[in-house]
Amino acid sequence: MAGPTGVRRLLWLYRRSLGANLRAVLEYETDFWIMVAAALAAQLVGLVFIGALFSQVPELHGWRFAEVVLIYALANLAAGIGALLFDGVWRLPWMVNQGELDYLLVRPYPVVLQVTGTAVGMQSLGEIVGAGAMLGWALWRVDLDWSPITVAVGVVLVASAVAIRVAVTVVSNAAVFWLTAPSSMLAVSVNQLGDLARYPLTVYGVVLRVLLAGVLPFAFTSFFPAAWLVGRDGYAWVGLLTPVVALYCVGVAALVFRRGLRRYESAGH
Amino acid sequence: MRAYAGLARAAARSVLTYRLNFLFGTGALVVHLVAMLALWSALLDAGRSVAGFTLPEMKAYLLIAFGTGFLVSIFGDFRMASRIHSGMVALDLVKPVDYQAARLAESTGGVVAEVGAVAVVWVGVVTFAGPVAAPGWPQGLLFAVSVAAVVPLKFLVVYLSTLLCFWTQNYLGVFWARDVVVSLFSGALVPLALLPGWFQATAAVLPFAGITSVPALIYLGHVRGAAALGLVGLQLAWAVVLWYAARLAWRGAVRKLTVHGG
Amino acid sequence: MALVEAEGLRKVFRLPVKEPGLGGAVKHLFVRRHRDVVAVDGVNLVIEAGEAVAYVGPNGAGKSTTVKLLTGILVPTAGRVLVDGVEPHRDRRANARQIGVLFGQRSQLWWDLPVRESLALLRDMYGLGAREYAERLERFDAVLDLGDLLPVLARKLSLGQRMRADLAAALLHDPRVVYLDEPTIGLDIAVKDRVRAFLRELRAGGTTIMLTTHDLGDMEDVCERLVVIDRGRIIYDGALAAVKDRFARDRRMHLVLAEPVPHAVVAARLPRAEVVAGGTATEFTVVFDRFGHTAGEVIAALLPLAEVVELRIDEPAIEDVVRKVYAGELSLDGDPA
Repeated sequence: MAGPTGVRRLLWLYRRSLGANLRAVLEYETDFWIMVAAALAAQLVGLVFIGALFSQVPELHGWRFAEVVLIYALANLAAGIGALLFDGVWRLPWMVNQGELDYLLVRPYPVVLQVTGTAVGMQSLGEIVGAGAMLGWALWRVDLDWSPITVAVGVVLVASAVAIRVAVTVVSNAAVFWLTAPSSMLAVSVNQLGDLARYPLTVYGVVLRVLLAGVLPFAFTSFFPAAWLVGRDGYAWVGLLTPVVALYCVGVAALVFRRGLRRYESAGH
Repeated sequence: MRAYAGLARAAARSVLTYRLNFLFGTGALVVHLVAMLALWSALLDAGRSVAGFTLPEMKAYLLIAFGTGFLVSIFGDFRMASRIHSGMVALDLVKPVDYQAARLAESTGGVVAEVGAVAVVWVGVVTFAGPVAAPGWPQGLLFAVSVAAVVPLKFLVVYLSTLLCFWTQNYLGVFWARDVVVSLFSGALVPLALLPGWFQATAAVLPFAGITSVPALIYLGHVRGAAALGLVGLQLAWAVVLWYAARLAWRGAVRKLTVHGG
Repeated sequence: MALVEAEGLRKVFRLPVKEPGLGGAVKHLFVRRHRDVVAVDGVNLVIEAGEAVAYVGPNGAGKSTTVKLLTGILVPTAGRVLVDGVEPHRDRRANARQIGVLFGQRSQLWWDLPVRESLALLRDMYGLGAREYAERLERFDAVLDLGDLLPVLARKLSLGQRMRADLAAALLHDPRVVYLDEPTIGLDIAVKDRVRAFLRELRAGGTTIMLTTHDLGDMEDVCERLVVIDRGRIIYDGALAAVKDRFARDRRMHLVLAEPVPHAVVAARLPRAEVVAGGTATEFTVVFDRFGHTAGEVIAALLPLAEVVELRIDEPAIEDVVRKVYAGELSLDGDPA
């Protein structure tokens, strides 16, 4: 065997695959920079929006400007990292519909990772830079007791947030195994719901709260981790559940994907 | 003229063919609308008002922003971009219709379906989200004219940005950039009145304000009479200017045209 | 024990039935109606290690579906597949290491990457060592002339180049069983010959081959066993040579004589053969059973009439047999073996 073994081997191969695809992306360098710039601009516009709101009121349901920016930045950071590492998942509907999973199914590597590793989201660099800058600024402005534990937990929370976002995207794209329409519009809609998590959960009515905290737990990608970071009464402890929720989501995604593969019909029989 | 009517009808019908996409596409925009309604309701509770907007007014504003954001969105850019990329646009060139007018006809056909969806969403919001401001009849009439002007205006913004696909492979990036600019300068993101004075002044002379801000402010009666008429006039003037600008850009694009494949 | 065993293999696809128009579409959202299409219907197949099997049948007969079932790409509706004791769709990774798959209509190369990169990615996925990898590439290069292709982006390859690169990709890990679905489709003669030479070499090395093809030259060149599928069922499974001996017996001799001879005169000299007049009065085609006459007998019979100026013989081809089976003119029932 060449290279490392076990889980490390999986990761090593995944990085190899992403690296190869990144090289492919950079074949179109101008396009890459257009996407990066557009994504960065989109981040800034979101910030302008929040800024405009807070130019009129000092706080929103008890959340101050820097805290809302923190929530906003966490949500976008999770989406951006997800797009950097797992953007291939958006190709799943097309691949299933065109029978492009055939070769993936006869290789000794998990199919879902082969799919998610087929693309690097060109927009992700802009998203990560934009969200990272906002996160840095927000962390500087909010009251935070800095300790090594804060940092360690913070990193775990962000990683879990990425896992949740990606897992939900896998499930919504895997719907193609049942819907058999070559379109990711369902996944796009679900992804849009994820954008609701950019603002404090408390502004929404009860239906949306249940949806975002339970059914499609996007609130765990931003609101609850932020609540833990700033020590918000009543929500902070929920933030610590984020890794558990992430494990649950990843488990469900793996199950749904496996079930879906059993229904895969290839193309042209 | 018959040819264009046919194109418009075909476009309207294609919504039925791709109804699932249409449904989910609508859903995505509705999600955004819901978020905005929730945020503004939280901000404007207890009869507060911001920059002259009360909650019922703001709801009306958001509904109009949703509607004008939805118009001319389902039929157009992606289809045109992919035809440019694949080189199939060459087939459009040999058809005995004017390319630009044909695309306008298709977008107008799409508007029929879009208006239907917008109406359903409006009724839903009015039913479930409480009172929404309503205009008197002179304002209402002017609003209707202003919304009608949104169709060619928005079409031309979309069309001009899509022509960029003749020069770049990446239409997704171009469309994102366009959406950012349009949402910021049109007032769809947030009413222009909430943004700094210099920004408002800039936005006022650009064509984008005509897409959301102008019809919304007329509806709410924030601009009336001669001022309102002037704004509608500006919308139409921009539509004419952009129409000829697009003709010019098209001439450059055709020169650039290289048909792939073969 | 056999290497590949399929037992009672059945695959049913469910196709949605939609009534036309918007009403039908809306109705379909609530009341799902389906039509079952049986693509593979009770296929039993046993392939021993080292065998080379030609798997043929008309379009839509279930060839590709069978291959996808045997490789674990599709999950069977009923029945079971075992490849060296592994059930392909249950243990994909163990299965992947022992099989190689090529779909001629589709590439597995990374579209925007040089061929070399694709092969290197596969090398790492299969965990091949550097020496092994270098040796294989050298071997592929010898038969497939791969060297020039390595630095080329996959999307810039011609069809023939792509097929050669894809063959290398499918066989890089030296699989025990190889499934090739139309490996010569659309290729010109030179590349076809090269691919066939490669397959012969593969077979000589002991690799088990299942070849799906419409090109009957491929099968005669590479395989000794023929399996014919029609409408999801296997209608023949036996030696290729046996089919050939039983049904492909007619040789065609094309002759040009030095001077015109009436057709009836020629025909009278060869009562047990069929004589067809050619374009001119000196050209004839004689169709005769290769077990009834030798070519020498035919020529000897004609020599008293006129000198033979030119002569060409078309050997009987399995092609004709299968074509007849497809057309429903011939039934292979009653295995001749």
